[in-house]
Amino acid sequence: MTLLSVENLVTSFKTSAGEVRAVDGVSIAVERGQTLGIVGESGCGKSVLSLSIMQLLAHPGRVVEGKVLLEGRNLLDLSARQMRAVRGREIAMIFQEPMTSLNPVHSIGYQITEAMRAHEPSLSAAELRNRAVAVLDRVRIPSAARRFDEYPHQLSGGMRQRVMIAMALACKPKLLIADEPTTALDVTVQAQILELLRELQAENGMGIILITHDLGVIAEMADRVSVMYAGRVVERSSSAELFDDPQHPYTLGLLGSIPRVDEEKDRLTAIEGAVPPPFAWPPGCRFAPRCPFSIEACTQAPPALREVAPDHAAACLEAPL
Amino acid sequence: MSATASAGPVTAPRRPSAFRMLMKDTGAAIALVFVVLIVLAAVFAPWLAPKDPYETDLMSIMSPPSADYWFGTDGQGRDIFARTLYGLQVTLFMGLTSLIIGGVLGALVGFLAAYYKRLDGLLMRFMDILLSFPAILFGLALAAIFGPGLTSVIIALSIATIPLMARIVRGAAVVVMGLDYIEAARAVGMTDKRIMLRHLAPNCLSPIFVFATLRLGQVILLGSALSFLGLGAQPPVAELGAMASQGRNFLFIAPHISVVPSIAIFAVVLAFNVLGDALRDALDPRLRI
Repeated sequence: MTLLSVENLVTSFKTSAGEVRAVDGVSIAVERGQTLGIVGESGCGKSVLSLSIMQLLAHPGRVVEGKVLLEGRNLLDLSARQMRAVRGREIAMIFQEPMTSLNPVHSIGYQITEAMRAHEPSLSAAELRNRAVAVLDRVRIPSAARRFDEYPHQLSGGMRQRVMIAMALACKPKLLIADEPTTALDVTVQAQILELLRELQAENGMGIILITHDLGVIAEMADRVSVMYAGRVVERSSSAELFDDPQHPYTLGLLGSIPRVDEEKDRLTAIEGAVPPPFAWPPGCRFAPRCPFSIEACTQAPPALREVAPDHAAACLEAPL
Repeated sequence: MSATASAGPVTAPRRPSAFRMLMKDTGAAIALVFVVLIVLAAVFAPWLAPKDPYETDLMSIMSPPSADYWFGTDGQGRDIFARTLYGLQVTLFMGLTSLIIGGVLGALVGFLAAYYKRLDGLLMRFMDILLSFPAILFGLALAAIFGPGLTSVIIALSIATIPLMARIVRGAAVVVMGLDYIEAARAVGMTDKRIMLRHLAPNCLSPIFVFATLRLGQVILLGSALSFLGLGAQPPVAELGAMASQGRNFLFIAPHISVVPSIAIFAVVLAFNVLGDALRDALDPRLRI
């Protein structure tokens, strides 16, 4: 059975400017031991998607349609209490900013044991401590036993992100949602963290949803990729296929805007224009106004995601390109 | 083994503690020492007072300060020094009790408003309504219901403190709520209560402490005013405001009867205000160097 499958999810925010569908009919699937990359620019709805899966949306955000199936169980049907038991225990999450994701007033050990205590209240203090030290060890924090009593401000950014990962892994979740886990870190630390995530995945076979705007990270980590634009998935394929043969003009644009060392290029090509704000999304294909391939029909109705090659789908009338 | 242990992890230097920051400020240090002295004087009043504060000496009514009566005697010949010590006790008890009751309730409202955005509008508008009544008015109303006395004053001051504390706490908590670690706490499946208690509240403590210290001065002043107006402590209870009130008829012939308790009120309030201000500076990380 698929570990997590999200079907036709719609998340809407009721604002004074009207109803805004930040996520509009998104379907994704993750298998055990697999990494799904979700790529997109800021504001494309990728973070809202992850918060919708966790049901951590802040008021006035609300999931209005669709299903979030974790091993076949629809999370949207769960009560608040049942959902709390899922968070941390079955699905865990790590965030972009390791500098602010840890509470400055508690020691890191305390924060990790708290994550465990939320799900296994019967554990003794000594046992909690042992387990927390073991988890810190697993995320390769040197002299973990001593670090246990340190406070977040005593750690570097990379170390803090390791602590965040330790917190997320404390209860051995089946799925880890990593929302831009390396964006705030410098490049060498970035590589270490990604390497760590890969090792941990190999150890316990968890599924990972990796949300990022960095195609380099995707290329390194993801087995499958979903490209999001303006609240929708516009392309879906295996990671290798996506980089080899992108089928949506937006993906093409994204790939064209990365510098490469092996190619002579005077200027990087940028995608013309900007992502339209959610309350001003065009009626047809949302990428049409910025698309070099757009034709009359693109502005009529939103194109459906369709198979253009085996196991490779794109939401574009012109595909295959 | 010992080599690795002595190397130790590289850690950031500790920030100077708030207490040390506080002691760097001379005014604050004096205020702190003074506050400690006042509290000690109040607590140990029964042992420190040279005479019974309620014993009248009709032979020496309204006598000015002397070796026998350090602060003089009042209209009934009672020792003002003893009465001031006991007055401090009553005044501090009144101030602290109402601060704690009002502060805890107000903080609760503030945290709930910040945590549950749905409740925010309702709770804070209700606080605005409370805020539009002057504390003296609450005192009058409660004195009318329960009769004048310390209880009425404490309830009135508690109610008057709730909206102020709620605003301060909500303001601080809303900022903390926006930080990632609250979301991270939710993401590991913690209950709302636990998040509020363990993650939200500890990060809002410094504005709470600062406000509480400043508010204590105000509450003491308000309480003394209510007692001065006859709504609070009733004679013969030694309370600073009531003592000042009793002396006001003799202001020209025996000014010390009113002046001594008034100076005591002034000094207590000033000390708490200075301390509160300094605490704000000491606890504000942006002002730390």
